Amino acid sequence: MDKKIFIEPIFLKNPITVLVLGICSALAVTTKLEPAIVMALSVTIVTGFSSFIISLIRNTIPNRIRIIVQLVVVAMLVILVDQILQAYAYEVSKQLSVFVGLIITNCIIMGRIEAYALGNKPIPSLVDGLANGFGYGLILVALAFVRELFGSGTLYGIQVIPLSWYSVNGGFYENNGFMILPPAALILVGLIIWIQRSFTKELIEK
Amino acid sequence: MQDLVNLFVKSIFVENMVFAYFLGMCSFLAVSKSVKTATGLGIAVIFVLVVTLPVNYLIYKYVLTAGALAWLDPSFADLDLNFLSFIIFIAVVASIVQLVEMIVEKFSPSLYNSLGIFLPLIAVNCAILGGSLFMQERGYETLGQATTYALGSGIGWALAIVSLAAIREKLKYSNIPAPLRGLGITFIVVGLMGIAFMSFMGIKL
Amino acid sequence: MDTNKNLYTIVYSTILVVVVAVILALASYLLKDRQQRNVAIETKMMILKSVNLAKDASKADDKPTYIEQEYSKYITDSSITEGNKTFPLYICRLENQDKYYIVKLHGAGLWGPIWGYISFKSDLSTIYGAVFAHKGETPGLGAEISTDHFSGQFIDKTIFEGENFVSVLVVKGGGAKGNHEVDAISGGTITSKAVEAMLKSCIGDYLNFFKANLNKATAPLYDSTMVNPSDSTMLINQIDTTKN
Repeated sequence: MDKKIFIEPIFLKNPITVLVLGICSALAVTTKLEPAIVMALSVTIVTGFSSFIISLIRNTIPNRIRIIVQLVVVAMLVILVDQILQAYAYEVSKQLSVFVGLIITNCIIMGRIEAYALGNKPIPSLVDGLANGFGYGLILVALAFVRELFGSGTLYGIQVIPLSWYSVNGGFYENNGFMILPPAALILVGLIIWIQRSFTKELIEK
Repeated sequence: MQDLVNLFVKSIFVENMVFAYFLGMCSFLAVSKSVKTATGLGIAVIFVLVVTLPVNYLIYKYVLTAGALAWLDPSFADLDLNFLSFIIFIAVVASIVQLVEMIVEKFSPSLYNSLGIFLPLIAVNCAILGGSLFMQERGYETLGQATTYALGSGIGWALAIVSLAAIREKLKYSNIPAPLRGLGITFIVVGLMGIAFMSFMGIKL
Repeated sequence: MDTNKNLYTIVYSTILVVVVAVILALASYLLKDRQQRNVAIETKMMILKSVNLAKDASKADDKPTYIEQEYSKYITDSSITEGNKTFPLYICRLENQDKYYIVKLHGAGLWGPIWGYISFKSDLSTIYGAVFAHKGETPGLGAEISTDHFSGQFIDKTIFEGENFVSVLVVKGGGAKGNHEVDAISGGTITSKAVEAMLKSCIGDYLNFFKANLNKATAPLYDSTMVNPSDSTMLINQIDTTKN
């Protein structure tokens, strides 16, 4: 199988920083690493399996109700993910709140189905979906890493910045509360794009 | 009445769909290059939100929520169809968007042409589904509240996209570092707009 | 096959809907118990925290079981009747026979609901512990109400001044003094005030019960065998006497 299917979506065709897909539901969950990782996993699973299922039934779908059929399959997978999270990862599912449901409208999923799964065999579609989900998750986790480290001084809930550094304890350090707020996520994505495009000139817009 | 006004103002400025929850970002970034198309999409979003949210509210209240079906038959009282809410909401949204698309195509071909492929994309615009999910999550109690919330958040979204489009029209003439051009600077501008909108947070409602 | 025929489309969508519905109903049915248990555990965890128990729950190997064990060991579910409404009242009995009364709180914060539990010593005026939670308050500001730092301030405050209900006030600017005041969160004043309002209104529901039993620490009122109905209109329902 062509390795490009897997590698491209992670860097050169990253869904967030290059294709501008799927930013909607995700940035809000990047204040902490844990919800970001769970969200990234959920999206990867949903993207992979929805591409797989749609590709399996691609020749039977009546063209007129194509979009609805796709939405139903995606929504079904998202509900399954949501139910499983509620049962086995209750704390995280509470933090994700409505954003699990919003995976349905994550443009990456519909985008990959339309652009790839409808015209390709199931297994490559599965790989394509997983890779796109993974490329997306990578950005989420990177964002969450920065935001949690500087915003809360922790990583995955574990205190990383020594407590004695904080000014309340006589040190010199304060958490940067701005990192936790929504605008910080947007500005960080902007910076990531900047860095990425400095290295890959072909992505620069005119 | 007063709480409706509060909710209205809050959903436009304080809990702005874009700046506070990043909802509807895809089309927000893609269609904000010119004020004209941005206005069209903004109006479409307001319209679709105002139509879908009350419908979803009624469905949620009388069909989906725990014990909601008791009005049909008391024996349904312990039925909880909440797990179906995502799928029902998205189905309602998709069909209403289809309807709007047909109406716009018939009555305003120019608007239809300029919005191009983004009208069907409203179906997968997170702002629309997000509105319904927030309605469910926050438990708005009356049809009035749900509609007000829909109108407010729709106007908030439209306001955000039109102002971003206006900024981007000016941005074309600025000297921006090459790798930051286009998408990169747009994200940063949206971030800065978000900071500006955060100043509404202090408003006591 | 022609996939554009009307009949085909209708049959196709019917099959799709049935298949999806069956899968989802099955998943919901299989996972329901676990989900409800999670919700119950969370409530129990908060109740235990409000009486300063279950502090090392996060270290326990099997947290849900640990919480359930601790809960059934110390807490009795009960309720009081006020008019024709019933309000929950949880009673905690420690090994040393100390009794605490836990009241459920719920109110509206700046962005969404806030809730919590507060426990009183048996004089029904001194606060023994409190715990607050919120749905969507601003991180770093209003969201701080759920920290121990904020809720810890409530310990040993009193809600009665003599016979008068004064609740606990949340004051701005770090000038809290006396037995009825705690400091607001700087920058989170609206949420802090919401906590104050929540305390006032929720404890208010229990006011008759509190007043009737105020400072009767030694009164054996809470053993159902000894309740004298004429003593107070506020009786505790369904006391489990086996937990004495």
